[in-house]
Amino acid sequence: MEHEPAHVLLIEDNPGDADLVRLRLVESKSDVHVNCVPRLSDALACLDVETPALVLLDLNLPDSHGAETFRRIRQKAPNVPVVILSGQDDEVMAMKAVHQGVQDYLVKGDVTSKQLERALRYAVERQGLLRSLEISRQQQVEFKNRFLSHVSHELRTPLTCIHQYVTLLLDGLAGPMAPDQTSHLKTVLKSVNQLHAMIRDLLEATRADSGKLRVEPRCIDIGELIRQAVAMMRPAAAEKHVGLEVGVDQTIPLVYADPDRALEVLINLIDNGIKFTPPEGSVMVKASMVETDPASVYISVSDTGRGMPQESLPLVFERLYQDPNAVDGNRAGLGLGLFIAKEIVALHGGRMWVASQQGSGSTFSFTLPLYSLAKLLLPVIVDQGRLREALVLVRVELTPLSKSLRGSWKETCARCLDLLRRCVYLDKDLVLPPLATSGPVETLFVVASTDMGRVSVMMERIRGQVGALPQLKAGGTLQVTAEPIPVPAASDAMTLEQQIWSVADCVAEIIQRGLCSGSNCSEKENQEHAY
Amino acid sequence: MRTESGKGGLARNRAKIMVVDDDPDLRQALSLRLRANHFDTVNVCDGYSAIAMAQKERPQLIILDLGLPAGDGFAVLKNLHEYPALAGIPVIVLTARDPEANEKRTLEAGAIAFFQKPADNEELLGAIRACL
Repeated sequence: MEHEPAHVLLIEDNPGDADLVRLRLVESKSDVHVNCVPRLSDALACLDVETPALVLLDLNLPDSHGAETFRRIRQKAPNVPVVILSGQDDEVMAMKAVHQGVQDYLVKGDVTSKQLERALRYAVERQGLLRSLEISRQQQVEFKNRFLSHVSHELRTPLTCIHQYVTLLLDGLAGPMAPDQTSHLKTVLKSVNQLHAMIRDLLEATRADSGKLRVEPRCIDIGELIRQAVAMMRPAAAEKHVGLEVGVDQTIPLVYADPDRALEVLINLIDNGIKFTPPEGSVMVKASMVETDPASVYISVSDTGRGMPQESLPLVFERLYQDPNAVDGNRAGLGLGLFIAKEIVALHGGRMWVASQQGSGSTFSFTLPLYSLAKLLLPVIVDQGRLREALVLVRVELTPLSKSLRGSWKETCARCLDLLRRCVYLDKDLVLPPLATSGPVETLFVVASTDMGRVSVMMERIRGQVGALPQLKAGGTLQVTAEPIPVPAASDAMTLEQQIWSVADCVAEIIQRGLCSGSNCSEKENQEHAY
Repeated sequence: MRTESGKGGLARNRAKIMVVDDDPDLRQALSLRLRANHFDTVNVCDGYSAIAMAQKERPQLIILDLGLPAGDGFAVLKNLHEYPALAGIPVIVLTARDPEANEKRTLEAGAIAFFQKPADNEELLGAIRACL
């Protein structure tokens, strides 16, 4: 026989049933070696050491019962075929297990040696087929992602060339241009930019598909971010004579989100709004709090465009969806923007949805979580139901060699954050998410819960590792300082929750003070002196 | 204290920039723009010539593509560091490749900035001025 299972793991607690199965296997003259164990824990230990060709499993064991038994086996050895041995009365459960991925089930006592032998052989065969299907599916996904990433890279090179020469001409570097020529070239540049955006979307969607889209949440002012997005989109709105308005509730606390990604989402929604609103219409961006969900901020972008039919609404966030009614010169794009936007929001733990009525505009809404220092601090500052005795706030301040290298500076800061996370003791210390600062100085904070001895070791590590970053080595500066955080003494007057809030308030206050006395503000003063 | 006289100011000495890119059209466009902004340029098309030319011309700055024949951009970064006279030349990487997979690596290899093509002209010029 070609595909003989060489080694069968039999998991059966009833010695009589185990012997019977062994007997049937011997009768079938299959060349198998049977290893029999009575408990799930023994089976898991066996699977640690050796991978059998097949598992014969009784679902009801002394230490595990029902579907859970199969789940544990599958978790341990996902590629090994499993055949269930069931009693006369638990065929329902056995059938359920088949739905979950069990290859077959045999009713104990009803099995002839021939049936057993065939069941085992087919189980191994089927599992092999499933496995190769899964591998080929993974290869296809991998290929698709590699293909898209390759194509978008190759598309960039000619695109860059067009971009370069068009901007050379537009900037008058190849001689003066007539007004008509300038206007035509601007049209070319606009199309180049659209193409660029499409290539970017293609890559982003590929990343979202393969779970590689990343967000780096910080503590941000959402009102500020909305104003920034609106300022960026104003020229496009003005060109189409579409009004662009902002209504941000001033009392919204800080939000915990990746500012670049959140800006991307806002721009995408506003851009769509403008695109689908006729001249003299308007687009409104709002942010507010909702009573029923106090941990989130609600952001919406509404337009006075044509709106969408109800049946389109569930489809708009699908990949490659394009409005079938898009009219006059609205180039639809790839239809990936909303898909990416929704993915980004989901990565923040938020939701995105749309409401629309044909003829009276659409409203796209999404939520982002509020920043809660107390929630972040909780796992670090509380130990066995009590506040830790000593807490320290370590401030890490980076000043770049030059402000103009902003692209790389951002990367330097991101790497600093990575390094900080490696310098701290993960179970007891916390690297706070960076605060979005507009200045050139990046200030990062670490909350450490410990005695000063360990903190100074950590600070030395930070100085060594962060100080070795190329931009800092090349002349930027790094300052690492520590300040104790007052911890309220345990008393009957304060609940643990109140104590945590008190610590969070202290940390917030020190950070605030630190940012104001630190280089961010002094830089501002310097600038004021300079002008 | 900032003393520079504004962008493209003539008060600045003409700095020499070496452009390393295997696409002749891109090299030419970039050189045109750099010269229009009062820089001198030297162009090379592969990784091997990049090192030879850097030794001969001693540019004040290098704009480097990553996908190159005869030694890719990473090999160039590595080789530059092996010559003490060249190790201090700031390198700005300008590539069509994905920043996610390459930015960190190029900065670790010693580049001072990373731009993905097509780059914004003003941002690129800003970074160049900042390095000089």
